[in-house]
Amino acid sequence: MADDRARAILARLGGAANVVEIEGCITRLRTEVRDPGLVDRAALQKHAHGVVVAGTVVQVVVGPEADMIADDIGDLL
Amino acid sequence: MTVHVTAPLAGRVAPLIAVPDPVFAEQMLGSGLAIEPPGGLVEAVAPISGTLAKLHPHAYVVVGDDGAGVLVHLGIDTVGLGAFVVHAEEGAQVTAGRPVVTMDADEVRARGLSAICPVVLMDSAPGGTHAHATGEVRPGDPLFTWDA
Repeated sequence: MADDRARAILARLGGAANVVEIEGCITRLRTEVRDPGLVDRAALQKHAHGVVVAGTVVQVVVGPEADMIADDIGDLL
Repeated sequence: MTVHVTAPLAGRVAPLIAVPDPVFAEQMLGSGLAIEPPGGLVEAVAPISGTLAKLHPHAYVVVGDDGAGVLVHLGIDTVGLGAFVVHAEEGAQVTAGRPVVTMDADEVRARGLSAICPVVLMDSAPGGTHAHATGEVRPGDPLFTWDA
């Protein structure tokens, strides 16, 4: 289940090729992307409490499973 | 069921909207309050009794027996900072008031960062907490309540 969520979030971030770095931080995924234009913010919102984009840094607020989801996404990169 | 959340640290109470991070200011994780600590070493304790479900040097989550989780975040953008000393282990059972982390608020501020500490009832609706404390609080003082 968590793996499905990781796949869905990764797809909305523009896929593995668009993700430079991702880390979990208690409640949010902090990720650096190559092209913020490839991030589907509206779709991402459906998998998260919120999305904060600042330049190439995208924060996806997923709740306390953040560390686990970050690990799952890391496995997919 | 009503969850009574106590202040995890000393300081001046502020609304979440005052926190310079949209994740907290817009209550994306839930509602609650923030505490602006004084300078020097600040001892942060468990805000409720339960399991220390998540423990990082700069933030922790205690999940009560009823399933309600309270997040305490020590300062903003403080991940990876050497300003914290951890006094507990992830997964431990804690009672409200037990010391969890000591923060050097001076060191956080010396780096130009905010030392304000959001205290959030995870997954509560925005504005969902009530009986908010005001003014100065000490650890263990009533901070806010939440009705499931």
